[in-house]
Amino acid sequence: MTAETSRRSFLKFLPLAAVFASIGGAAFRFLRPKLSAATNAWLDVASVSELAGPQPISRKIIAEQITGWAITTEEHNVFVLPAKNNQVVSAVCPHEGCEVAWEQNRNRFSCPCHESYFAADGSRISGPAQRGLDALPARVQDGKLQVQYISKEQATRA
Amino acid sequence: MRSDNSPGAWLQTTTGIVVVLLLVQFLTGVLLAFYYVPSVDHAYTTVSYIEKVVSSGSWIRSLHHYGSQWLTIFVFIHVIRLFLDRAYAANRIQWIVAVLLLGLVMAAGGTGYSLPWDARAFFSTRVAEGLMAGLPVAGGMARLWLLGGSEISGMTLSRFFALHVLVIPALIGAVVVWRMFRVQIAEFFGPRDAIVGTLVFLALALWALKHPAPFGPSVAEAGADYLPRPGAQFLWLYQSLKYVPGGLGSIVGVVLPGIALTVLIALPWLKRQRLVAGSLLGLGVVLVAIMTTVSYLSDRRDPRTAQQFAKQAAAEEAWRRQPFNPATITLAATPTTNATGGAPVMYTKFCVNCHGTHGQGAQQGPLKFPPLLDVSAKPRRSVDEIVSLLKDPTAYGLQPPMRSFSEKLTEEQMREIAEWIVKLKK
Repeated sequence: MTAETSRRSFLKFLPLAAVFASIGGAAFRFLRPKLSAATNAWLDVASVSELAGPQPISRKIIAEQITGWAITTEEHNVFVLPAKNNQVVSAVCPHEGCEVAWEQNRNRFSCPCHESYFAADGSRISGPAQRGLDALPARVQDGKLQVQYISKEQATRA
Repeated sequence: MRSDNSPGAWLQTTTGIVVVLLLVQFLTGVLLAFYYVPSVDHAYTTVSYIEKVVSSGSWIRSLHHYGSQWLTIFVFIHVIRLFLDRAYAANRIQWIVAVLLLGLVMAAGGTGYSLPWDARAFFSTRVAEGLMAGLPVAGGMARLWLLGGSEISGMTLSRFFALHVLVIPALIGAVVVWRMFRVQIAEFFGPRDAIVGTLVFLALALWALKHPAPFGPSVAEAGADYLPRPGAQFLWLYQSLKYVPGGLGSIVGVVLPGIALTVLIALPWLKRQRLVAGSLLGLGVVLVAIMTTVSYLSDRRDPRTAQQFAKQAAAEEAWRRQPFNPATITLAATPTTNATGGAPVMYTKFCVNCHGTHGQGAQQGPLKFPPLLDVSAKPRRSVDEIVSLLKDPTAYGLQPPMRSFSEKLTEEQMREIAEWIVKLKK
Protein backbone atom coordinates (compact mmCIF):
# COMPACT_ATOMS: atom_id res chain seq x y z
CA MET A 1 0.00 0.00 0.00
CA THR A 2 1.48 3.36 -0.97
CA ALA A 3 1.39 6.39 1.30
CA GLU A 4 -1.00 7.94 -1.20
CA THR A 5 -3.65 5.20 -0.97
CA SER A 6 -3.40 4.87 2.81
CA ARG A 7 -4.00 8.59 3.14
CA ARG A 8 -7.02 8.20 0.86
CA SER A 9 -8.51 5.32 2.83
CA PHE A 10 -8.10 7.35 6.01
CA LEU A 11 -9.83 10.32 4.38
CA LYS A 12 -12.77 8.11 3.51
CA PHE A 13 -13.64 7.83 7.18
CA LEU A 14 -13.14 11.49 7.97
CA PRO A 15 -16.74 12.64 7.40
CA LEU A 16 -18.16 9.63 9.24
CA ALA A 17 -15.83 10.30 12.18
CA ALA A 18 -16.85 13.97 12.24
CA VAL A 19 -20.57 13.15 12.21
CA PHE A 20 -20.35 10.40 14.82
CA ALA A 21 -18.00 12.29 17.13
CA SER A 22 -20.07 15.48 17.22
CA ILE A 23 -23.60 14.04 17.15
CA GLY A 24 -22.57 10.99 19.20
CA GLY A 25 -21.09 13.19 21.91
CA ALA A 26 -24.20 15.32 22.00
CA ALA A 27 -26.35 12.16 21.97
CA PHE A 28 -24.92 11.10 25.30
CA ARG A 29 -25.97 14.36 26.94
CA PHE A 30 -29.20 14.44 24.94
CA LEU A 31 -30.31 11.02 26.15
CA ARG A 32 -29.16 11.40 29.75
CA PRO A 33 -32.06 10.36 32.01
CA LYS A 34 -33.94 13.06 33.90
CA LEU A 35 -34.63 12.17 37.52
CA SER A 36 -38.19 12.95 38.40
CA ALA A 37 -38.72 15.46 41.15
CA ALA A 38 -41.04 14.54 43.99
CA THR A 39 -42.96 17.48 45.33
CA ASN A 40 -42.44 16.56 49.03
CA ALA A 41 -46.00 17.65 49.63
CA TRP A 42 -47.85 16.34 52.66
CA LEU A 43 -50.78 14.29 51.39
CA ASP A 44 -53.95 13.60 53.34
CA VAL A 45 -54.45 9.92 54.15
CA ALA A 46 -57.39 9.92 56.56
CA SER A 47 -58.89 11.61 59.61
CA VAL A 48 -57.19 10.24 62.71
CA SER A 49 -60.60 9.75 64.36
CA GLU A 50 -61.62 7.07 61.85
CA LEU A 51 -58.47 4.98 62.31
CA ALA A 52 -58.88 2.15 64.81
CA GLY A 53 -58.79 -1.62 65.13
CA PRO A 54 -56.18 -4.33 64.64
CA GLN A 55 -56.47 -4.52 60.83
CA PRO A 56 -54.39 -2.52 58.34
CA ILE A 57 -56.60 0.02 56.57
CA SER A 58 -56.20 0.49 52.82
CA ARG A 59 -56.08 4.09 51.56
CA LYS A 60 -55.18 5.87 48.34
CA ILE A 61 -53.02 8.96 48.16
CA ILE A 62 -52.63 11.15 45.09
CA ALA A 63 -49.10 12.40 44.52
CA GLU A 64 -47.80 14.76 41.84
CA GLN A 65 -44.38 14.23 40.28
CA ILE A 66 -42.53 16.27 37.70
CA THR A 67 -41.47 13.63 35.20
CA GLY A 68 -39.61 15.16 32.25
CA TRP A 69 -42.06 17.21 30.21
CA ALA A 70 -45.13 16.32 32.27
CA ILE A 71 -46.52 16.76 35.74
CA THR A 72 -47.93 13.33 36.48
CA THR A 73 -50.66 12.84 39.04
CA GLU A 74 -50.73 9.26 40.22
CA GLU A 75 -52.70 7.31 42.77
CA HIS A 76 -50.69 5.20 45.20
CA ASN A 77 -52.02 2.52 47.51
CA VAL A 78 -50.90 2.72 51.13
CA PHE A 79 -51.90 0.92 54.31
CA VAL A 80 -52.42 2.62 57.66
CA LEU A 81 -51.50 0.37 60.60
CA PRO A 82 -53.63 1.58 63.54
CA ALA A 83 -52.15 -1.21 65.68
CA LYS A 84 -48.70 0.27 65.11
CA ASN A 85 -49.38 3.86 66.15
CA ASN A 86 -50.86 4.75 62.73
CA GLN A 87 -47.70 3.99 60.81
CA VAL A 88 -48.30 4.26 57.06
CA VAL A 89 -46.62 1.74 54.74
CA SER A 90 -46.46 1.78 50.94
CA ALA A 91 -48.25 -1.08 49.17
CA VAL A 92 -45.35 -1.37 46.73
CA CYS A 93 -43.52 -4.67 47.29
CA PRO A 94 -39.83 -3.98 48.04
CA HIS A 95 -38.87 -6.98 45.85
CA GLU A 96 -39.71 -6.07 42.23
CA GLY A 97 -42.40 -3.43 42.75
CA CYS A 98 -45.78 -5.15 42.31
CA GLU A 99 -48.47 -4.09 44.80
CA VAL A 100 -49.30 -6.18 47.84
CA ALA A 101 -52.86 -6.88 49.00
CA TRP A 102 -54.11 -7.45 52.54
CA GLU A 103 -55.43 -10.98 53.12
CA GLN A 104 -57.75 -10.63 56.08
CA ASN A 105 -58.40 -14.35 56.64
CA ARG A 106 -54.69 -15.15 56.72
CA ASN A 107 -53.71 -11.99 58.57
CA ARG A 108 -50.91 -11.10 56.16
CA PHE A 109 -49.99 -9.01 53.13
CA SER A 110 -49.28 -11.01 49.98
CA CYS A 111 -47.64 -9.95 46.74
CA PRO A 112 -49.45 -11.16 43.59
CA CYS A 113 -46.23 -11.50 41.59
CA HIS A 114 -43.51 -13.53 43.29
CA GLU A 115 -45.09 -14.73 46.53
CA SER A 116 -43.52 -12.45 49.12
CA TYR A 117 -45.50 -12.26 52.38
CA PHE A 118 -45.57 -9.62 55.11
CA ALA A 119 -47.07 -9.57 58.61
CA ALA A 120 -49.80 -7.18 59.78
CA ASP A 121 -47.10 -4.80 61.08
CA GLY A 122 -45.47 -4.70 57.61
CA SER A 123 -42.46 -6.85 58.56
CA ARG A 124 -41.24 -9.52 56.15
CA ILE A 125 -42.42 -13.12 56.71
CA SER A 126 -41.11 -14.99 53.68
CA GLY A 127 -40.45 -14.83 49.94
CA PRO A 128 -37.86 -13.15 47.73
CA ALA A 129 -38.37 -9.65 49.23
CA GLN A 130 -35.42 -8.71 51.44
CA ARG A 131 -37.14 -6.25 53.78
CA GLY A 132 -40.53 -5.37 55.15
CA LEU A 133 -42.96 -2.92 53.54
CA ASP A 134 -41.55 0.60 53.31
CA ALA A 135 -42.83 3.06 55.91
CA LEU A 136 -43.67 6.57 54.66
CA PRO A 137 -42.87 9.74 56.63
CA ALA A 138 -46.08 10.65 58.40
CA ARG A 139 -47.44 13.41 60.61
CA VAL A 140 -50.75 14.50 62.11
CA GLN A 141 -51.99 17.96 61.15
CA ASP A 142 -55.38 19.32 62.29
CA GLY A 143 -56.63 15.83 63.08
CA LYS A 144 -55.56 14.51 59.65
CA LEU A 145 -52.97 11.82 59.13
CA GLN A 146 -50.67 12.98 56.33
CA VAL A 147 -47.72 11.32 54.53
CA GLN A 148 -45.03 12.18 52.01
CA TYR A 149 -44.84 9.72 49.13
CA ILE A 150 -41.57 7.81 48.72
CA SER A 151 -40.96 5.44 45.81
CA LYS A 152 -39.48 1.97 46.29
CA GLU A 153 -36.21 3.18 44.71
CA GLN A 154 -35.95 6.12 47.11
CA ALA A 155 -36.63 3.78 50.04
CA THR A 156 -33.93 1.38 48.78
CA ARG A 157 -31.37 4.16 48.58
CA ALA A 158 -32.21 5.54 52.02
CA MET B 1 -13.27 7.63 -12.13
CA ARG B 2 -12.21 10.36 -9.71
CA SER B 3 -8.50 9.64 -9.85
CA ASP B 4 -7.64 12.73 -11.91
CA ASN B 5 -6.45 15.80 -10.10
CA SER B 6 -8.29 18.32 -12.23
CA PRO B 7 -10.40 20.92 -10.44
CA GLY B 8 -13.46 19.36 -12.09
CA ALA B 9 -13.06 16.28 -9.87
CA TRP B 10 -14.31 18.31 -6.89
CA LEU B 11 -17.57 18.93 -8.73
CA GLN B 12 -18.23 15.18 -8.75
CA THR B 13 -18.34 14.85 -4.97
CA THR B 14 -22.09 15.27 -4.52
CA THR B 15 -22.51 11.60 -3.52
CA GLY B 16 -20.37 12.11 -0.42
CA ILE B 17 -22.32 15.19 0.63
CA VAL B 18 -25.64 13.39 0.20
CA VAL B 19 -24.43 10.36 2.18
CA VAL B 20 -23.17 12.50 5.08
CA LEU B 21 -26.33 14.62 5.20
CA LEU B 22 -28.54 11.50 5.06
CA LEU B 23 -26.59 10.09 8.00
CA VAL B 24 -27.06 13.33 9.94
CA GLN B 25 -30.84 13.21 9.29
CA PHE B 26 -31.06 9.60 10.46
CA LEU B 27 -29.04 10.13 13.64
CA THR B 28 -30.72 13.36 14.71
CA GLY B 29 -34.15 11.98 13.78
CA VAL B 30 -33.64 8.92 15.96
CA LEU B 31 -32.54 11.16 18.84
CA LEU B 32 -35.57 13.46 18.52
CA ALA B 33 -37.87 10.41 18.57
CA PHE B 34 -36.64 9.64 22.09
CA TYR B 35 -38.59 12.67 23.39
CA TYR B 36 -41.15 13.62 20.75
CA VAL B 37 -44.72 12.40 21.25
CA PRO B 38 -46.97 12.43 18.15
CA SER B 39 -50.21 13.49 19.81
CA VAL B 40 -52.00 16.80 19.36
CA ASP B 41 -51.97 17.54 23.08
CA HIS B 42 -48.30 16.64 23.65
CA ALA B 43 -46.40 17.34 20.38
CA TYR B 44 -45.92 21.05 21.07
CA THR B 45 -44.96 20.43 24.71
CA THR B 46 -42.41 17.75 23.88
CA VAL B 47 -40.78 19.89 21.16
CA SER B 48 -40.58 22.80 23.65
CA TYR B 49 -38.99 20.40 26.12
CA ILE B 50 -36.37 19.35 23.53
CA GLU B 51 -35.66 23.01 22.77
CA LYS B 52 -35.51 24.32 26.35
CA VAL B 53 -34.58 21.50 28.72
CA VAL B 54 -32.80 18.62 26.97
CA SER B 55 -29.01 19.06 26.73
CA SER B 56 -27.97 19.84 23.13
CA GLY B 57 -31.65 19.52 22.23
CA SER B 58 -31.86 22.81 20.39
CA TRP B 59 -28.72 21.98 18.37
CA ILE B 60 -29.91 18.46 17.49
CA ARG B 61 -33.30 19.75 16.36
CA SER B 62 -31.69 22.54 14.36
CA LEU B 63 -29.36 20.03 12.65
CA HIS B 64 -32.42 18.01 11.69
CA HIS B 65 -34.39 21.06 10.52
CA TYR B 66 -31.71 22.75 8.40
CA GLY B 67 -30.16 19.39 7.48
CA SER B 68 -33.37 18.51 5.65
CA GLN B 69 -33.16 21.74 3.64
CA TRP B 70 -29.48 21.24 2.78
CA LEU B 71 -30.13 17.59 1.93
CA THR B 72 -32.87 18.49 -0.55
CA ILE B 73 -30.64 21.07 -2.25
CA PHE B 74 -27.69 18.68 -2.52
CA VAL B 75 -29.79 15.76 -3.77
CA PHE B 76 -31.07 18.10 -6.48
CA ILE B 77 -27.53 19.19 -7.36
CA HIS B 78 -26.58 15.49 -7.35
CA VAL B 79 -29.31 14.73 -9.90
CA ILE B 80 -28.17 17.62 -12.10
CA ARG B 81 -24.56 16.42 -11.88
CA LEU B 82 -25.62 12.88 -12.89
CA PHE B 83 -27.58 14.36 -15.79
CA LEU B 84 -24.52 16.29 -16.97
CA ASP B 85 -22.47 13.09 -16.68
CA ARG B 86 -25.11 11.20 -18.72
CA ALA B 87 -25.41 8.71 -15.83
CA TYR B 88 -28.94 7.80 -17.00
CA ALA B 89 -27.29 5.93 -19.89
CA ALA B 90 -24.14 4.69 -18.14
CA ASN B 91 -25.49 3.58 -14.75
CA ARG B 92 -29.26 3.21 -14.77
CA ILE B 93 -29.63 2.20 -11.12
CA GLN B 94 -27.56 5.18 -9.93
CA TRP B 95 -29.75 7.52 -11.94
CA ILE B 96 -33.09 6.02 -10.85
CA VAL B 97 -32.01 5.92 -7.19
CA ALA B 98 -30.94 9.58 -7.27
CA VAL B 99 -34.29 10.69 -8.70
CA LEU B 100 -36.23 8.49 -6.25
CA LEU B 101 -34.16 9.97 -3.44
CA LEU B 102 -35.12 13.48 -4.50
CA GLY B 103 -38.81 12.58 -4.27
CA LEU B 104 -38.40 10.79 -0.93
CA VAL B 105 -36.39 13.61 0.63
CA MET B 106 -39.07 16.10 -0.42
CA ALA B 107 -41.76 13.82 1.07
CA ALA B 108 -39.80 13.51 4.32
CA GLY B 109 -39.50 17.28 4.56
CA GLY B 110 -43.20 17.76 3.82
CA THR B 111 -44.38 15.31 6.46
CA GLY B 112 -41.78 16.46 8.99
CA TYR B 113 -43.04 20.04 8.78
CA SER B 114 -46.29 19.07 10.52
CA LEU B 115 -44.80 17.24 13.48
CA PRO B 116 -44.01 20.11 15.94
CA TRP B 117 -47.72 21.08 15.73
CA ASP B 118 -46.91 24.76 16.08
CA ALA B 119 -48.69 27.36 13.97
CA ARG B 120 -46.25 26.88 11.05
CA ALA B 121 -46.88 23.15 11.18
CA PHE B 122 -50.61 23.64 11.31
CA PHE B 123 -50.68 25.91 8.25
CA SER B 124 -48.33 23.66 6.30
CA THR B 125 -50.68 20.78 7.05
CA ARG B 126 -53.55 22.94 5.79
CA VAL B 127 -51.60 23.58 2.58
CA ALA B 128 -50.87 19.86 2.15
CA GLU B 129 -54.56 19.24 2.68
CA GLY B 130 -55.43 21.84 0.01
CA LEU B 131 -52.91 20.44 -2.46
CA MET B 132 -54.35 16.93 -2.07
CA ALA B 133 -57.93 18.19 -2.30
CA GLY B 134 -57.14 20.03 -5.53
CA LEU B 135 -55.91 16.93 -7.37
CA PRO B 136 -58.03 16.05 -10.38
CA VAL B 137 -60.55 13.18 -10.07
CA ALA B 138 -59.29 11.58 -6.82
CA GLY B 139 -58.68 14.85 -4.92
CA GLY B 140 -61.40 14.35 -2.31
CA MET B 141 -60.29 10.81 -1.63
CA ALA B 142 -56.59 11.78 -1.48
CA ARG B 143 -57.39 14.48 1.09
CA LEU B 144 -59.33 12.05 3.31
CA TRP B 145 -56.53 9.48 3.13
CA LEU B 146 -53.86 12.04 3.98
CA LEU B 147 -55.80 13.46 6.95
CA GLY B 148 -57.06 10.10 8.19
CA GLY B 149 -60.52 11.67 8.49
CA SER B 150 -62.55 14.65 7.41
CA GLU B 151 -60.61 17.15 9.56
CA ILE B 152 -57.00 17.82 10.53
CA SER B 153 -56.73 16.03 13.87
CA GLY B 154 -54.67 13.68 15.99
CA MET B 155 -55.28 11.09 13.29
CA THR B 156 -53.49 13.36 10.79
CA LEU B 157 -50.52 13.88 13.09
CA SER B 158 -50.17 10.10 13.62
CA ARG B 159 -50.19 9.57 9.84
CA PHE B 160 -47.57 12.21 9.17
CA PHE B 161 -45.47 10.78 12.00
CA ALA B 162 -45.66 7.20 10.67
CA LEU B 163 -44.81 8.36 7.14
CA HIS B 164 -41.98 10.59 8.36
CA VAL B 165 -40.22 8.22 10.77
CA LEU B 166 -41.12 4.75 9.45
CA VAL B 167 -42.28 4.61 5.83
CA ILE B 168 -40.05 7.19 4.15
CA PRO B 169 -36.80 6.32 6.01
CA ALA B 170 -37.43 2.62 5.23
CA LEU B 171 -37.84 3.47 1.53
CA ILE B 172 -34.71 5.66 1.57
CA GLY B 173 -32.82 2.81 3.25
CA ALA B 174 -34.16 0.37 0.66
CA VAL B 175 -33.09 2.43 -2.37
CA VAL B 176 -29.67 3.12 -0.84
CA VAL B 177 -29.16 -0.61 -0.14
CA TRP B 178 -30.34 -1.40 -3.66
CA ARG B 179 -27.82 1.06 -5.07
CA MET B 180 -24.97 -0.27 -2.90
CA PHE B 181 -25.48 -4.05 -2.98
CA ARG B 182 -28.21 -4.89 -5.52
CA VAL B 183 -29.35 -7.53 -3.06
CA GLN B 184 -30.72 -10.72 -4.57
CA ILE B 185 -33.65 -11.76 -2.39
CA ALA B 186 -33.61 -15.25 -3.95
CA GLU B 187 -30.23 -15.94 -2.36
CA PHE B 188 -31.55 -16.28 1.17
CA PHE B 189 -35.24 -16.91 0.57
CA GLY B 190 -35.74 -20.02 -1.57
CA PRO B 191 -38.97 -21.81 -2.54
CA ARG B 192 -38.97 -24.03 0.60
CA ASP B 193 -38.53 -21.00 2.85
CA ALA B 194 -41.47 -19.39 1.06
CA ILE B 195 -43.75 -22.40 1.68
CA VAL B 196 -42.84 -22.84 5.36
CA GLY B 197 -43.02 -19.10 5.98
CA THR B 198 -46.52 -18.97 4.51
CA LEU B 199 -47.70 -21.89 6.67
CA VAL B 200 -46.37 -20.35 9.88
CA PHE B 201 -47.99 -17.04 9.02
CA LEU B 202 -51.35 -18.76 8.42
CA ALA B 203 -51.10 -20.54 11.78
CA LEU B 204 -50.32 -17.26 13.59
CA ALA B 205 -53.11 -15.46 11.75
CA LEU B 206 -55.67 -18.09 12.80
CA TRP B 207 -54.41 -18.07 16.41
CA ALA B 208 -54.67 -14.27 16.61
CA LEU B 209 -58.16 -14.43 15.15
CA LYS B 210 -59.27 -16.60 18.08
CA HIS B 211 -57.24 -14.90 20.84
CA PRO B 212 -57.14 -11.09 21.03
CA ALA B 213 -53.97 -9.75 22.72
CA PRO B 214 -54.51 -9.31 26.46
CA PHE B 215 -55.47 -5.82 27.59
CA GLY B 216 -56.00 -5.32 31.30
CA PRO B 217 -57.80 -2.60 33.25
CA SER B 218 -56.08 0.79 33.51
CA VAL B 219 -53.61 1.08 36.39
CA ALA B 220 -55.99 3.39 38.24
CA GLU B 221 -58.90 0.95 37.93
CA ALA B 222 -57.09 -2.32 38.68
CA GLY B 223 -58.22 -3.79 41.98
CA ALA B 224 -55.79 -4.74 44.74
CA ASP B 225 -56.32 -8.41 43.86
CA TYR B 226 -55.25 -8.00 40.21
CA LEU B 227 -52.88 -10.83 39.23
CA PRO B 228 -50.36 -9.97 36.50
CA ARG B 229 -48.59 -12.64 34.44
CA PRO B 230 -45.91 -12.07 31.80
CA GLY B 231 -45.91 -13.40 28.22
CA ALA B 232 -44.94 -17.02 27.56
CA GLN B 233 -41.34 -16.16 26.61
CA PHE B 234 -40.74 -14.64 30.08
CA LEU B 235 -42.50 -17.18 32.30
CA TRP B 236 -39.16 -18.87 33.12
CA LEU B 237 -37.80 -15.56 34.43
CA TYR B 238 -41.00 -14.78 36.32
CA GLN B 239 -40.92 -18.17 38.05
CA SER B 240 -37.18 -17.97 38.87
CA LEU B 241 -37.69 -14.61 40.60
CA LYS B 242 -39.81 -16.42 43.19
CA TYR B 243 -36.85 -18.56 44.25
CA VAL B 244 -33.93 -16.15 44.38
CA PRO B 245 -33.81 -13.43 47.04
CA GLY B 246 -34.26 -9.83 45.88
CA GLY B 247 -31.19 -8.31 44.24
CA LEU B 248 -30.02 -11.66 42.90
CA GLY B 249 -32.99 -11.50 40.52
CA SER B 250 -31.01 -9.10 38.32
CA ILE B 251 -28.18 -11.63 38.14
CA VAL B 252 -30.52 -14.44 37.08
CA GLY B 253 -32.61 -12.38 34.71
CA VAL B 254 -30.05 -10.06 33.13
CA VAL B 255 -26.40 -10.83 33.88
CA LEU B 256 -26.36 -14.62 33.34
CA PRO B 257 -28.39 -14.54 30.07
CA GLY B 258 -26.17 -11.65 28.93
CA ILE B 259 -23.00 -13.66 29.59
CA ALA B 260 -24.48 -16.70 27.82
CA LEU B 261 -25.36 -14.62 24.73
CA THR B 262 -21.90 -13.02 24.69
CA VAL B 263 -20.20 -16.44 24.84
CA LEU B 264 -22.43 -17.73 22.03
CA ILE B 265 -21.61 -14.71 19.87
CA ALA B 266 -17.89 -15.25 20.51
CA LEU B 267 -18.20 -18.98 19.73
CA PRO B 268 -16.54 -18.81 16.26
CA TRP B 269 -13.29 -17.72 18.02
CA LEU B 270 -13.46 -20.18 20.94
CA LYS B 271 -12.07 -23.70 21.40
CA ARG B 272 -14.21 -26.76 22.28
CA GLN B 273 -17.10 -25.13 20.45
CA ARG B 274 -19.47 -28.15 20.63
CA LEU B 275 -18.97 -28.54 24.38
CA VAL B 276 -19.32 -24.85 25.29
CA ALA B 277 -22.34 -24.08 23.12
CA GLY B 278 -23.92 -27.48 23.76
CA SER B 279 -23.84 -27.13 27.54
CA LEU B 280 -25.06 -23.50 27.45
CA LEU B 281 -27.95 -24.24 25.08
CA GLY B 282 -28.78 -27.50 26.88
CA LEU B 283 -28.82 -25.78 30.26
CA GLY B 284 -30.98 -23.01 28.83
CA VAL B 285 -33.50 -25.43 27.32
CA VAL B 286 -33.76 -27.48 30.55
CA LEU B 287 -34.06 -24.42 32.81
CA VAL B 288 -36.65 -22.70 30.62
CA ALA B 289 -38.70 -25.90 30.19
CA ILE B 290 -38.75 -26.70 33.92
CA MET B 291 -39.47 -23.17 35.10
CA THR B 292 -42.22 -22.62 32.51
CA THR B 293 -43.90 -25.92 33.42
CA VAL B 294 -43.71 -25.18 37.15
CA SER B 295 -45.22 -21.74 36.53
CA TYR B 296 -48.16 -23.18 34.57
CA LEU B 297 -48.73 -25.91 37.17
CA SER B 298 -48.60 -23.66 40.23
CA ASP B 299 -51.15 -21.29 38.66
CA ARG B 300 -53.40 -24.23 37.71
CA ARG B 301 -53.32 -25.90 41.12
CA ASP B 302 -54.14 -22.92 43.31
CA PRO B 303 -57.95 -22.56 43.22
CA ARG B 304 -57.84 -18.91 44.36
CA THR B 305 -55.46 -18.00 41.55
CA ALA B 306 -57.60 -19.84 38.99
CA GLN B 307 -60.68 -18.03 40.32
CA GLN B 308 -58.99 -14.63 40.06
CA PHE B 309 -57.85 -15.34 36.48
CA ALA B 310 -61.41 -16.31 35.56
CA LYS B 311 -62.61 -13.04 37.10
CA GLN B 312 -60.03 -11.03 35.14
CA ALA B 313 -60.91 -12.83 31.89
CA ALA B 314 -64.60 -12.05 32.47
CA ALA B 315 -63.77 -8.38 33.18
CA GLU B 316 -61.71 -8.17 29.97
CA GLU B 317 -64.54 -9.77 28.00
CA ALA B 318 -66.97 -7.23 29.47
CA TRP B 319 -64.58 -4.40 28.57
CA ARG B 320 -64.48 -5.61 24.96
CA ARG B 321 -68.26 -5.32 24.74
CA GLN B 322 -68.32 -1.74 26.05
CA PRO B 323 -68.29 1.08 23.47
CA PHE B 324 -65.05 2.98 22.87
CA ASN B 325 -64.61 5.99 25.15
CA PRO B 326 -62.92 8.90 23.32
CA ALA B 327 -60.39 11.17 25.05
CA THR B 328 -61.22 14.84 25.62
CA ILE B 329 -58.63 17.22 24.19
CA THR B 330 -58.89 21.00 24.41
CA LEU B 331 -56.74 22.97 22.00
CA ALA B 332 -58.38 26.37 22.49
CA ALA B 333 -55.84 28.93 23.77
CA THR B 334 -58.38 30.97 25.72
CA PRO B 335 -60.67 28.62 27.61
CA THR B 336 -64.21 29.71 26.96
CA THR B 337 -67.60 28.07 27.05
CA ASN B 338 -67.67 25.41 24.36
CA ALA B 339 -70.42 25.41 21.82
CA THR B 340 -71.86 21.93 22.31
CA GLY B 341 -72.74 21.02 25.89
CA GLY B 342 -72.55 24.46 27.48
CA ALA B 343 -70.04 23.18 30.06
CA PRO B 344 -67.03 25.46 30.67
CA VAL B 345 -63.91 24.18 28.89
CA MET B 346 -62.05 23.76 32.19
CA TYR B 347 -64.93 21.61 33.43
CA THR B 348 -64.54 19.34 30.39
CA LYS B 349 -60.81 19.22 31.06
CA PHE B 350 -60.70 18.45 34.79
CA CYS B 351 -64.16 17.42 36.01
CA VAL B 352 -65.91 15.58 33.20
CA ASN B 353 -64.27 12.18 33.68
CA CYS B 354 -65.71 11.78 37.17
CA HIS B 355 -68.80 13.99 37.19
CA GLY B 356 -70.02 13.42 33.62
CA THR B 357 -70.59 15.73 30.65
CA HIS B 358 -73.79 17.17 32.14
CA GLY B 359 -72.89 16.80 35.81
CA GLN B 360 -74.75 13.49 35.98
CA GLY B 361 -71.97 11.72 37.91
CA ALA B 362 -70.39 8.41 36.98
CA GLN B 363 -69.58 4.97 38.23
CA GLN B 364 -66.30 3.14 37.64
CA GLY B 365 -66.42 -0.34 39.14
CA PRO B 366 -67.01 0.05 42.88
CA LEU B 367 -66.15 3.78 42.77
CA LYS B 368 -69.14 6.13 42.60
CA PHE B 369 -68.67 9.74 41.60
CA PRO B 370 -71.47 12.00 42.85
CA PRO B 371 -73.78 13.84 40.44
CA LEU B 372 -73.72 17.65 40.60
CA LEU B 373 -77.39 18.11 39.70
CA ASP B 374 -79.53 20.30 41.96
CA VAL B 375 -76.66 21.04 44.37
CA SER B 376 -78.08 24.58 44.61
CA ALA B 377 -81.26 23.13 46.18
CA LYS B 378 -79.68 20.39 48.26
CA PRO B 379 -77.25 20.98 50.05
CA ARG B 380 -77.91 24.63 49.00
CA ARG B 381 -74.46 25.34 47.58
CA SER B 382 -73.85 28.89 46.45
CA VAL B 383 -71.34 29.88 43.77
CA ASP B 384 -68.98 31.13 46.49
CA GLU B 385 -69.24 27.85 48.37
CA ILE B 386 -68.49 25.78 45.26
CA VAL B 387 -65.45 27.95 44.55
CA SER B 388 -64.08 27.45 48.05
CA LEU B 389 -64.93 23.73 47.82
CA LEU B 390 -62.84 23.52 44.64
CA LYS B 391 -59.98 25.12 46.57
CA ASP B 392 -60.24 22.85 49.61
CA PRO B 393 -62.54 19.85 49.18
CA THR B 394 -61.45 18.22 52.47
CA ALA B 395 -62.95 21.17 54.37
CA TYR B 396 -66.31 20.01 52.95
CA GLY B 397 -65.71 16.40 54.03
CA LEU B 398 -64.91 15.21 50.50
CA GLN B 399 -62.48 12.32 49.98
CA PRO B 400 -59.85 11.74 47.29
CA PRO B 401 -59.92 11.36 44.33
CA MET B 402 -61.65 14.76 44.69
CA ARG B 403 -58.80 17.19 45.19
CA SER B 404 -57.98 20.85 45.43
CA PHE B 405 -57.89 22.73 42.11
CA SER B 406 -56.41 25.95 43.44
CA GLU B 407 -53.15 25.28 41.59
CA LYS B 408 -54.79 24.10 38.37
CA LEU B 409 -57.50 26.72 37.94
CA THR B 410 -57.64 30.47 38.32
CA GLU B 411 -60.25 32.08 40.56
CA GLU B 412 -62.08 33.17 37.41
CA GLN B 413 -62.14 29.66 35.93
CA MET B 414 -63.41 28.17 39.21
CA ARG B 415 -66.13 30.80 39.31
CA GLU B 416 -67.10 29.99 35.72
CA ILE B 417 -67.42 26.30 36.62
CA ALA B 418 -69.36 27.08 39.82
CA GLU B 419 -71.79 29.38 37.99
CA TRP B 420 -72.45 26.60 35.50
CA ILE B 421 -72.87 23.95 38.20
CA VAL B 422 -75.48 25.86 40.27
CA LYS B 423 -77.71 25.97 37.17
CA LEU B 424 -77.67 22.17 36.71
CA LYS B 425 -81.08 20.58 37.21
CA LYS B 426 -82.20 16.98 37.17
